[in-house]
Amino acid sequence: MTFEKILLRNVEIPNSEKIDVYLKRGGYQALRKALHEHTPDELVEMVKASGLRGRGGAGFPAGLKWSFMPKAADVTKYVCVNTDEGEPGTFKDRLLVERDPHSIIEGVAIAAYAVGAHRAFVYIRGEFFTGVKRWMKAIDDAYARGFLGANILGSGFDLDLSVHRGAGAYICGEETAMLESLEGKRGEPRLKPPYPAQVGLYARPTLVHNVETLACVPHIVLRGPEWFASIGTEDSTGPKIFCVSGDVNRPGNYELPLGTPLREIIYEHAGGIKEGRQLKAVIPGGASTPMLTAEHLDVPMAFETLHAIGTMLGTGGITVMDERVCIVSAALRLTRFFAHESCGKCTPCRVGTQRLVDTLQRIEDGRGQQGDIERLLSLCDGIAGHTFCPMGDAAVNPTLSSIKHFRHEYEVHIERHRCPMSS
Amino acid sequence: MTKVQITIDGQKIAAEAGSTVLEAAREAGLDIPTLCHHPALSNWGACRICLVEIERQRALQTACTFPVTEGMVVHTESEKVVAARKFVLQLLFSERNHYCMYCQMSGDCELQSLAYRYGLTEWPYPRPVEPLAVDATRQYFVMDHNRCILCRRCVRACAELVANHTLGVRERGIHSMITADLNVPMGESSCIQCGTCLQVCPTGALMDLKSAYRGRETQVERTRSTCVGCSIGCGIELVSRANHLVRIEGDWDAEVNKGLLCVVGRFEPLFDDRQRVTQPLVRRRGLLEPCEWDEALGLVAEKLSGDSLAALITTRATNETMTQFGRLFRSLGAEMAAVGSLAPAPGAEGRLTDLAEADVILVVGADLKKDHQVAGAFVRRAVDRGARLALVADADNGLASYATWHVGFDQMDSLVGMAAQASRPVVVCAADLPAEAEAALAPLAGKASFLGLSRGSNSRGAVAAGLPLSRGGEASARVLYILAEDDRLHIPRNGAGFVVAQASYVGPLTDMADVVLPAPIWAEQSGHVTNTEGRVQSVQAALTPPENVWPTVKVLKTLAGRLNLAL
Ligand SMILES: Cc1cc2nc3c(=O)[nH]c(=O)nc-3n(C[C@H](O)[C@H](O)[C@H](O)COP(=O)(O)O)c2cc1C
Ligand code: SF4
Ligand code: SF4
Ligand code: SF4
Ligand code: FES
Repeated sequence: MTFEKILLRNVEIPNSEKIDVYLKRGGYQALRKALHEHTPDELVEMVKASGLRGRGGAGFPAGLKWSFMPKAADVTKYVCVNTDEGEPGTFKDRLLVERDPHSIIEGVAIAAYAVGAHRAFVYIRGEFFTGVKRWMKAIDDAYARGFLGANILGSGFDLDLSVHRGAGAYICGEETAMLESLEGKRGEPRLKPPYPAQVGLYARPTLVHNVETLACVPHIVLRGPEWFASIGTEDSTGPKIFCVSGDVNRPGNYELPLGTPLREIIYEHAGGIKEGRQLKAVIPGGASTPMLTAEHLDVPMAFETLHAIGTMLGTGGITVMDERVCIVSAALRLTRFFAHESCGKCTPCRVGTQRLVDTLQRIEDGRGQQGDIERLLSLCDGIAGHTFCPMGDAAVNPTLSSIKHFRHEYEVHIERHRCPMSS
Repeated sequence: MTKVQITIDGQKIAAEAGSTVLEAAREAGLDIPTLCHHPALSNWGACRICLVEIERQRALQTACTFPVTEGMVVHTESEKVVAARKFVLQLLFSERNHYCMYCQMSGDCELQSLAYRYGLTEWPYPRPVEPLAVDATRQYFVMDHNRCILCRRCVRACAELVANHTLGVRERGIHSMITADLNVPMGESSCIQCGTCLQVCPTGALMDLKSAYRGRETQVERTRSTCVGCSIGCGIELVSRANHLVRIEGDWDAEVNKGLLCVVGRFEPLFDDRQRVTQPLVRRRGLLEPCEWDEALGLVAEKLSGDSLAALITTRATNETMTQFGRLFRSLGAEMAAVGSLAPAPGAEGRLTDLAEADVILVVGADLKKDHQVAGAFVRRAVDRGARLALVADADNGLASYATWHVGFDQMDSLVGMAAQASRPVVVCAADLPAEAEAALAPLAGKASFLGLSRGSNSRGAVAAGLPLSRGGEASARVLYILAEDDRLHIPRNGAGFVVAQASYVGPLTDMADVVLPAPIWAEQSGHVTNTEGRVQSVQAALTPPENVWPTVKVLKTLAGRLNLAL
């Protein structure tokens, strides 16, 4: 059974990033339809009815977020496209931006029209060198063909779109830190509430979306919300790009309906574990999400089902670790990332992540002490739920989930004063 | 004001709608601990020490940012809350060097006091190893990164109150460091040493060179007074111990400055190293020699009653002194003057607070980075808020980089015309403007509010006491009486045959005087001064003058008595 590609339908076509190829593939018809056949309110209702949830990690219902934007026409509003994609194990937005940027522009234009914004910004991760070029070229071409700028497609709707490059901080993917960075300030999260839909960029109502979320929008407009909602599960509708990496035979991006079992993704689409080894642990939705083990492989990859077993769909970045992986060193590696990326604003994340790293490092190096596991747990307990932004909750997940599933391996490290996996 | 009913720790409270849980709790006398929060600064919510449990909220919330709502039930010291607070404290103590016994803030430190409150008895996490830099490149205060908890009160104070935007943070995560400009030493940065950051720092990270180790809060006295550094007249608190000035702080409740001070008001008085005059002196055979008050006053009285007489007074003097001075020398027929000048105000006189509402601010001839610096902060804040600054001043004016327009006096008319179009223009004028500049402001009369910055702290008080203002060089008489107190007046002798200096310090004036009468310094006398807005404010003595130094008014009265003048 092969699933008809929707978001990735263009990416393997030569020159798919070019506007002519996009147009030949039926591109910008959704925008035309949205502008000429629908009112903004209808579009908001359509996105609500589609059940589309954000693909940037939190899974917030997109239509609801659109409806939070103030209706008044005399208020300056903005749309921001989150192309920061810093979550380890995630590489879907990059593919879309590099290979199908017009599908995102089309989504942005429809969203902006629906919420009454005339200015939109792309915030892109600084290291996406090709992505930046593709974004800029695509925007230039969209202007030249009348899909951006004044009076788009004769509808009377105006929209300007430009690109802003980030300077290499994971936290700038968090929407309010992204807004700070866009304003030229240090990238650090803002206090919420108010949420960006009330007080966003330059203190104006702002709709922030992930690239993949916006790429879904043209399809919802063209093929209808019912069609979209028919894909996936009841609470997780539509297609999703799963990024599979780690110890699999065919790492890569796989577009599948939400709700596809994890086992199917790893063993069928990604070709199973290398050299027939055993799966030890798998991170289902990017480094922020708690890891699972082989016993969870039948879980459907959907928001609600993953939540039910104590983890999250996140970005859909699936990282597979086979039996050779030392779980302590994996947790250390992941936690080091969060400590490195902590913005430093709040105490529990700034200092707590470093204390986690210190302790994990000591265990991995064979200098672990009795009580270190409890120390790790109490650090996690002290950080989680007590930080300024959700990053603290994410930062404890590698440690917490690895202790939960592999506590014995930690104990062996401490008792034998060395890592049992390194010979 | 609408109220909402909330419950904190079982206590029913009618809290102001829109206030935070912290504000409501403090209003009711409940003590929720804070570190990054400061009432004069924006709410930050980052240190996480103020976490409280709010029923029906999934996670603990920061009291300093969370708004109250009807029916809210808050627990401020529940088990969960206490555990979270202890954790935050443990982390902070593990982050940098907090060996309190070596810290100048010990005893007054907010971090240390919370450690006692929550019973921190050990360091559960490894101790820091790497010492961090101490930045002592500024003249008056030091930044010790080893004590910093990154609460960023200093950063917010510098940005929100002083609008100087010197401070920021570099690096991130555990490597975060408070920094100046683009990471230059503090002393080479854009810092103006107003010390506002120092005043808000909760720990020993920012330390005042003078007050460090010189007394804890329980050992010092605080006296509310008014700065006489310039005619703004900022509200201050004089912190003293054993008759020594330890520190000067901005008074958060003062209407004029709301806690702000500048380097002149906060630091310079503490670093005054001039030699005090501690007893009356008479010049004999060219040398000043100590004598008794009786002898000195006798000699002075004799000289005052005869010859042509000129009398000059500092505008640092109080209204009470001005009045007494006026009475005495008026009845002696002296040529009198106070050394200062008023700024022109060809229209309605404004207040400093008008700056907060202004859309266009026209500054004429003043360099608010050098003088009246607190007014400079208010102007910068207005610019941050969106007001536009029109500057008529020399090219090197300290606020040039904040100005939308900047011209010389010759092109002033264009900016006056522009300000006349604004909806809430405020004109800030320096004293001693060229006459043409004064005339050029005429079209703004009736449109703008005028804030004249008089030269000399209490020039308005002098005028109210009937004293003419002068630059101080013009007086020429046979006998010259100079009431200088602690002012650094430069007054030429102009051929006077006899000079009396009533002065606090040895200096050029005492060098030329024939009789020196010792005077108290500003912090040793009580009275009133009138600031540049016309606000009469109180000056309180925080120190007792040296034994043989009489209050200025007493000297003037005694002289009057000797001259048989009934004043
Ligand atoms: C630490 C952190 C990092 C994040 N990084 C990204 C990111 O790189 N890209 C992204 O789209 N969303 C990221 N998010 C989620 C955004 O805050 C935001 O929820 C999202 O962009 C909203 O778009 P969506 O509703 O389309 O998912 C991050 C969130 C956190 C807390
Ligand atoms: S220097 Fe003081 S005020 Fe500034 S961040 Fe450090 S502890 Fe806070
Ligand atoms: S002294 Fe004033 S100007 Fe200097 S850093 Fe502190 S707040 Fe900013
Ligand atoms: S602005 Fe004037 S009154 Fe205020 S602190 Fe500075 S010198 Fe003193
Ligand atoms: S005082 Fe509330 S978070 Fe710091």
